[in-house]
Amino acid sequence: MFDFSIVTKWFDALLSQTLGLPSFWTILIECVLIGLLVLTAYALICIVLIFMERKVCAYFQCRVGPMRVGPWGIFQVFADVLKMLIKEIFTVDKSDKLLYAIAPFLVMIASVGTFSFLPWNKGMHILDFNVGIFLVTAISSIGVLGVFLAGWGSNNKYSVVSAMRAAVQMISYEVSLGLCLICAVILTGTMQMSGIIEAQTGPWKWLVIQGHIPAIIAFVVFLIAGNAEANRGPFDLGEAESELTAGYHTEYSGMGFGYYYLAEYLNLFVISGLASAVFLGGWAPLNVGITGFDNLMNIIPGFVWFFGKTFMLVWILMWVRWTFPRLRIDNLLKLEWKYLMPLMLIVLVLTTCCVAFGLTF
Amino acid sequence: MKLNNIELNFDNFASEMAKLKNEKHFDYLVTIIGEDFGEEGLGCIYILENTDTHERCSVRTIGKKVGDDVVIPTTLNLWNAANLLEREVFDFLGIKFLGHPDMRRLFLRTDFNGYPLRKDFDESPENNKFPVTDEPESDFTTEWNLDRSGNLVATQHRLFDEDDFVVNMGPNHPSMHGVLRLQTVVDGETIKGVYPHLGYIHRGMEKMCESMTYPQSLALTDRLNYLCAMMQRHALVGVIEEGMGIELSDRILYIRTIMDELQRINNHLLFLGTCAQDLSALTAFLYCMRDREHVLNVMEETTGGRLIQNYYRIGGLQDDIDPNFVQNTKTLCKYLRPMVQEYMDVFGDNVITHQRLEGVGPMGLDDCINYALTGPAGRAAGWHNDVRKNHPYGVYDKVKFDEITLTGADSMARYIVHIKEIYQSLDIIEQLIDNIPEGEFYIKQKPIIKVPEGQWFFSVEGGAGEFGVYLDSHGDKSPYRLKMRPMGLTLTGAFDKMLRGQKIADLVATGAAIDFVIPDIDR
Amino acid sequence: MENNKSYFGEIGAAIKTLATGMKVTLIEYFTPKITEQYPENRKTTLHVAQRHRGRLVFKRNEDESHNCVACTMCEKACPNDTIKITAHMEEDPETGRKKKKLDDYQYDLGDCMFCQLCVNACNFDAIEFTNDFENSVFDRTKLVCHLDKEVYKGGSLPNILDGGAPLTIGKFNTKTK
Repeated sequence: MFDFSIVTKWFDALLSQTLGLPSFWTILIECVLIGLLVLTAYALICIVLIFMERKVCAYFQCRVGPMRVGPWGIFQVFADVLKMLIKEIFTVDKSDKLLYAIAPFLVMIASVGTFSFLPWNKGMHILDFNVGIFLVTAISSIGVLGVFLAGWGSNNKYSVVSAMRAAVQMISYEVSLGLCLICAVILTGTMQMSGIIEAQTGPWKWLVIQGHIPAIIAFVVFLIAGNAEANRGPFDLGEAESELTAGYHTEYSGMGFGYYYLAEYLNLFVISGLASAVFLGGWAPLNVGITGFDNLMNIIPGFVWFFGKTFMLVWILMWVRWTFPRLRIDNLLKLEWKYLMPLMLIVLVLTTCCVAFGLTF
Repeated sequence: MKLNNIELNFDNFASEMAKLKNEKHFDYLVTIIGEDFGEEGLGCIYILENTDTHERCSVRTIGKKVGDDVVIPTTLNLWNAANLLEREVFDFLGIKFLGHPDMRRLFLRTDFNGYPLRKDFDESPENNKFPVTDEPESDFTTEWNLDRSGNLVATQHRLFDEDDFVVNMGPNHPSMHGVLRLQTVVDGETIKGVYPHLGYIHRGMEKMCESMTYPQSLALTDRLNYLCAMMQRHALVGVIEEGMGIELSDRILYIRTIMDELQRINNHLLFLGTCAQDLSALTAFLYCMRDREHVLNVMEETTGGRLIQNYYRIGGLQDDIDPNFVQNTKTLCKYLRPMVQEYMDVFGDNVITHQRLEGVGPMGLDDCINYALTGPAGRAAGWHNDVRKNHPYGVYDKVKFDEITLTGADSMARYIVHIKEIYQSLDIIEQLIDNIPEGEFYIKQKPIIKVPEGQWFFSVEGGAGEFGVYLDSHGDKSPYRLKMRPMGLTLTGAFDKMLRGQKIADLVATGAAIDFVIPDIDR
Repeated sequence: MENNKSYFGEIGAAIKTLATGMKVTLIEYFTPKITEQYPENRKTTLHVAQRHRGRLVFKRNEDESHNCVACTMCEKACPNDTIKITAHMEEDPETGRKKKKLDDYQYDLGDCMFCQLCVNACNFDAIEFTNDFENSVFDRTKLVCHLDKEVYKGGSLPNILDGGAPLTIGKFNTKTK
């Protein structure tokens, strides 16, 4: 298995030892480079996701999707991005200017922040704290703030209703999201992202297999709650275009809207990425205990595994989004507080028992 | 039906109408027709139906002159459906209904000058210049009453309180199916009241018809509810043919019935689609649109139109059916049945849909009749209001079909009625398609069509309710007064009653399940 | 709205309906698509109903003469003044009788609402609608046609007057060739 930390260590050594830069400059250069890489990856993945959404959605709906721009329409999203960049950005007269202006950035900060936690490959983590999982949930909560401020700041009646909805929804679903992650933490015994994945390497060690019933339930609930957290259908009550026009981002134009659009897709990716990292082993290849097969699987690089799993989950979430109608706010809260949260509390106890009595694989 | 009006005068009007409703059980107010009767003055014709025997009667009353104004007592206390209907009459003829709490204009702007359906209306452009300012809007409504000495007195009612949170749903709103505006008072997400504003695409069709020849007026009906083009034209040619006493061949009747049912399938498919779309199930919407395409293809081969069909004409049909029509229709029927089940699987049976629609926008049987909630919405509450059964036209008296009535009385039941009616329409088509008799498809008429003097009312079952046309002819080549009973107007009037205490999301769900189309309401 | 089903029974039934929905969309994901590839298919697999009303044309006899006698029945029948006929009286040199002679038959496609009343009104079988639907132009004035001046010989697409490719109800032709 290729360990990406070789590359990073070599680069660090290049700067600090071969070039003999002081540690301040080393760290600065590294930070800037990584920042650029993250943002580039962010934008590229977004473009891929938007294109994927359009095609997958079309295929579920018996259509063929965009076909005009480039062969099979592959340049459609680039055209869309270009369009969005050159659109006029206008402000609303009676809005709360400060809140209106910073809200899109808060959403972006939350989604880039959580994005940085994803484990791309062995040794390829951007942020890897010992309380990593904990920090992910903390940072993702900033997104609620962005949505809420946008709705409040735009001084639009639809937006206010939408902001209230989105806030109550995201805060509620964070409860079960957190509980799912705690189950994973109990099973792996660490909160560090790299540690969680290390714990899933080896034959039949993916968490959904290792932790069997409780882990599978936690995985499914994580997907549901994550979908709600990312404000995607059937939980897109915040946007609810048939009720509240465009919800909290009604009054945003050009890239202001673009940020929300990007953040929505990236949140989808982050949720799928987290689910695949925490429950499906992230970059850990599928090992079954037969040496030949395992070696073959180990040859496939880790980031291929990670992207494969993540995009499979993205596809499933899109499948769900394009099948179901939207819930009403009371159904949504009922689902969380009456079904998911009690279920997760039971699963938490079950997981603890499993670990305590050694009932895991 | 040729109208034999019961004549009532101002003094006995209120008491006689109450008697008709309470003693003779005429509890369904079909429509109110305001008319300028020339020298007799302004007046109204009320068409009523007894919902037990389906007997219809018409009542005519001439308004009483009070100074420059003409007044008639309101019937709002008897039929809630009269609310918007009386406002419409006030809007077009300026008749003030005494005791009606909301005498605002309904379709035209509040600063519109004059009453267009009066025969002395000044049509010159100077009288009503093209407005370049916003419509002045008042938070107050006016109620008119006569005091003891017989003078008109106005009472002002306040619409909104100071701290009411009023959200305008529409006129440009994704789920309003066009340009309807519902001023919605909300408390959090709970609705406290809905005030519909109509007329954003009012085209004055009834006024236009008065200066058009009969064949020309046909061109307008396809542009009312554009999903029920066939049925609406059926009503208009029906009333003209009845007035002229034209005997149609069986072939014409058969083809018209089949076409009406194809159109109904088309309408219901679009309804199922938009209903899903309003609840954000875009996939189900596209499945319906996919299959609607086939229905349109079948119709287009014969009629040449997809949305604007232009198929019926006075005395028959535009053209004979296409040679492949019978075969195509049979293929279509075979194709559609499993597809309807697919909509149910992907949307109708879905637990989220049930949660969204069940118990939403409830309207019981009595209220449905009182608010004249015809069509699928009324049948969902158990009201036997199918015009095809009660007042058969075409060959509906020769085919076997059971009227679909449910008891749910909520949005889910309305959705299910639509699903079942697709099956029902397929059944009707399959009964007829092999038995289209030979004969003329068009009975030659004189080049200039004139209808003898008289008043007629002819109803058909449209996609979203009863669609009726009233024709008052003075023997000319154009109608003296033509009034259409739109399917959606009474549905819109019932929103306030249905939605009080429900959520904003329920407003969208109710609107989705009630199948209103704005051009039909606004005319 | 609490319904009376038990807490757990509700979950089972709900999941079943959701699974049915997912199954339907999954099957549709792999079934052939429905998007017809206009304009790529415009000369190949496009079907246009023969009776479709695309625009008004003069019917032409074999020697390219038309039947219009400028009786203005169509002009009078038209609900929105789409047709404007100008004519003058002319003496027939053979019979010596005065006869109306058509100068100009102006038809504004941009105003037409395709109600077919003009065709119904015509007693001389002079006009008809064709299914040639590709009428978009960049300048509105180009929509004003003079039907007596042009000799219409089919539209921009081959075979369109016969309906183009055959139509099968229940199937979509998504190919471009």
